[in-house]
Amino acid sequence: MNTQQLRRLLCSLSILILLPLAGCWSSKEIENLGFIVGTALDLEKKDPDHNGHLLTVTNQFVTSETIGSGTKDGKTQQKAYKNISETGDAALPTLRNMILRIDKRAFAEHSKVLVIGEELARTLNLQQTLDFFIREQEMRPSGLILIARERASGTLESKNLVDIPAFQLIEMTQGHDRTTKILPPMTLTKIQGKLQSGSSFLLQSVSSIKGEIKFTGAAVIKGKTNKLSGFLNEEELEGITWISGKGKGGLVRSFDDEGLPIVYEILSMKSVIKSHVDGNRISFDLIIESEGRIAEHWDVSEKDFENGYLKRAEQASVKEVKRLIRNVLNKMQHTYQADVSGFGNKLRIEYPYVWEKVKKDWDQTFSEVPIRCEVKLTIKDYGTSDH
Amino acid sequence: MLAMSGSSKDRITNLQAAVILVNYILAAGILTLPRTSVEKVKTPDVWITVIIGGLITMIAGVIIVKLSQRYPEKTFYQYSGEIVGKWIGGLLSILIIAYFFTISAYEVRTMAEVTGFFLLEGTPTWAIIMPFMWIGLYLIIGGITPLARLFEMIFPVTIIIFLLVAFLSLGIFEFNNLRPVLGLGVIPVLKGIKTTALAFLGTEVMLLLVAFMKRPEKAVKVVLIGVTVPMVFYVITVVMVIGALSIDGVTTRTWPTLELMRGFEIPGLIFERFESFLLVIWIMQIFTTFTITYYAAALGLSQLLKKDIQPFIYALLPVIYVIAMIPKNINDLFHMGDMVGNVALLLFAVLPLILLLISRLKKGGKA
Repeated sequence: MNTQQLRRLLCSLSILILLPLAGCWSSKEIENLGFIVGTALDLEKKDPDHNGHLLTVTNQFVTSETIGSGTKDGKTQQKAYKNISETGDAALPTLRNMILRIDKRAFAEHSKVLVIGEELARTLNLQQTLDFFIREQEMRPSGLILIARERASGTLESKNLVDIPAFQLIEMTQGHDRTTKILPPMTLTKIQGKLQSGSSFLLQSVSSIKGEIKFTGAAVIKGKTNKLSGFLNEEELEGITWISGKGKGGLVRSFDDEGLPIVYEILSMKSVIKSHVDGNRISFDLIIESEGRIAEHWDVSEKDFENGYLKRAEQASVKEVKRLIRNVLNKMQHTYQADVSGFGNKLRIEYPYVWEKVKKDWDQTFSEVPIRCEVKLTIKDYGTSDH
Repeated sequence: MLAMSGSSKDRITNLQAAVILVNYILAAGILTLPRTSVEKVKTPDVWITVIIGGLITMIAGVIIVKLSQRYPEKTFYQYSGEIVGKWIGGLLSILIIAYFFTISAYEVRTMAEVTGFFLLEGTPTWAIIMPFMWIGLYLIIGGITPLARLFEMIFPVTIIIFLLVAFLSLGIFEFNNLRPVLGLGVIPVLKGIKTTALAFLGTEVMLLLVAFMKRPEKAVKVVLIGVTVPMVFYVITVVMVIGALSIDGVTTRTWPTLELMRGFEIPGLIFERFESFLLVIWIMQIFTTFTITYYAAALGLSQLLKKDIQPFIYALLPVIYVIAMIPKNINDLFHMGDMVGNVALLLFAVLPLILLLISRLKKGGKA
C-alpha cells in the first residue's frame, strides 16, 4: 500500500467517524411520545388465585393528538387526555404492560401528580406503594401526592372535554393561598423524610363526585404503619391549618349574638408551639396570632366605626377558631391517636433528649398530652363599607 | 516539552494554584456528601462537621506546603529521595502515583454512572468515558499551564451556576429540618469528621504544585483559600439538602443533591430542569479533578524514571480506563471511593508530617 492509498483509507475512515456525530444517541420524537401527566393507583379486590394484592395503575396520557383535538374551533370531538388502566401485582410490570395498549412511548418526565386510592392506602404501606415512583429517575420528585376517597382512577376523569384532570388537581393545590381548607402541597421529595421518620402526617384528600373533582379535607397517615387510618374533614383541616400557622389566607365564619354571620378574612397567621417537660410530663402551649379584616357582616344595625363592635367581632371569631382547634385536637388525640400537626417536631427541637426517649411511641404518648391553646385575632379594617 | 520543573514556561500564578486546588477538591463528593455525612452524624449538625472537616484539611494542607517549601522547585517525586533515601522515596512516589491514577479512574467512573443514569440513558458506559478521557489527554499534553488556564475559566462558571441553583431551591427549604443545633451534644458531630474530611481530598496536589508556583512562599495562603471555597460550597449544599429533604429523607437517596434540584419547579421560569445545570458544572468539576490527577500521575512517572512525560500520558490512558471499569455496580464504586479515601488519609495526613519531621532533623532542604 503506497502513501496515496493509505491517505485515502484514512480519509474515508475519518468520514465514517463523523457520521454517528450527526444524530443524538437516544433521541425520541415528540410526536411519538405519550406524556404521562398523572397516575392513579388503586387496589383491586383480592384475587383468589393470587396470593398478593393486585394493583390497578391508571395513567393519564397527553399526546400530540389529544392536545390538538381538545380545542379545535371551540368544537370538541375528543377528550384532551387519554386514560389507560392496567392491573398487575407491582407498579412497573403493570406499567410495562401498558405498552401492549398504546402506540406512544410512555414518557413520565412531566408527570405531575400521583393519586392513591383509599383502599390501597389503608391496606398497603405507602413506602411500598411509592417505592417505584421514588426510585425511578424518569419520575420527577416534584410530583404531588394525593389520597382519593374511594377510587383514585375516578379523580382523573372529567366531564369536560377540554380539561386535563391531572393539571386541574395541580392548579387546585395552588388554592391553599386563599383558603385554610387545603394543605400545603406534599411532593415525592418531601414524603421521603416523612415516611422514614416514623411520625404521622397528612396528605391532601380528593374525591370525585359525579365527574367533578373536589378537595375534601385530609388523609391521616399513621407513622408506625405508613398506612391510611382515616380522614379529617374540611372543618378539621381548618383547625390543622390554624395550629400549623402555615395558612396564607382564608376565612373564619362566626355568628354574632343575634345569630347573623360575621366573616373574618385572614390577612396573616402565626402560630407558636411551646413544649414543656416537667419530669415525665410533657405538655404544650399553642399560641396563635392573626390579623385580618371583616369581609362580610349581615347585621345592618352595627357600626363598624366603633371599637366596641370590632372587639365583639374579634371575640366571636376567636371563639370559632378555638372551637376549630379543640375539635381537631380531640380528633387527633382520641379518634386517630396521631400527631399530624408538628407537636412532636417541636419537642424534638426543644427537648432533643426527651424526644429520643419518646419518639418510638410518640403517637400513643401524644394522645394523653395536655395542650393549652391561646388565640389572638386583630381586626385591622373592615373593607370599604360601613353599611 | 520536558515537564521537569525549572523550565520557565511551566509556571503558574498563585491565583491559578488556588483555582486548581478548588477545582480538584470539588468533585464527585458534592452529590453524595449530604448522605454519607448524615449516615454518620444522624443529627442536623452536619454542617458543623463539614466546617471541622475543612479546618482539619487546611492543617494537613499547610503541613504539605511546609514540606514542599523546604525543597524549592522540586516536586515530591524529586525530593522524597533526599529525605528518606532513594529506595523508600521511590516506593512512596509509586504509591502516590498509584493513588493519583486510581482517583482519576474513580472520578471518571462516577461521572459515567451519573450521566448514564440521569442524562444519557442507553448510552454505553465506554461511549461516555472515552471522549471524556481523550479530551483530558489532549489537555494535559500541553503541561500544567493550559490546565491552569482552563481551570480558571471553569471556576467562575461553577460558582455562579451553583449559587443560582442552590438558592432557587429555597422554595422547599424548611428551617425546622436543621434544628436543633447540637441537640444531642457534640459526640454525633465528631462521628462524621472522617467522612467530611475525605470530601476535601485534594490538598495533596500541593506536593507538586508548590514547585510550579511563581511565588511559592505564598503557598500557605493558597491552601487556606483553596479549602475555604469548597468549604462554603459544601456547607451551602448540606444546609440546602437537609433543609429540603430532612435528615430522615437524605439517608435513603443515592444522590441527595440531585434529588434536591429535582424536587422543585418554579412556574413561570423558562427552565424546569434545574438538575441539568448542576450536572453541567458537576461534570466540569469531575473533568478538572480527572485531568489534574491524571497529570500528577504521569508527571510522577516521568520524574521518577527521568524520562519525557508524553509516553507516560499515553500509557496511563488505558490503565485508568481499565481501573474505571473494575467496579461491578454502584456499591462497588462507593466502596472504591471509601478505600481510596482511607489510603489518602494515611498518605497525606500522616506521611507528610513524618517526612517534615525527618527533614527537619536531618536539616535537609531549605530551613
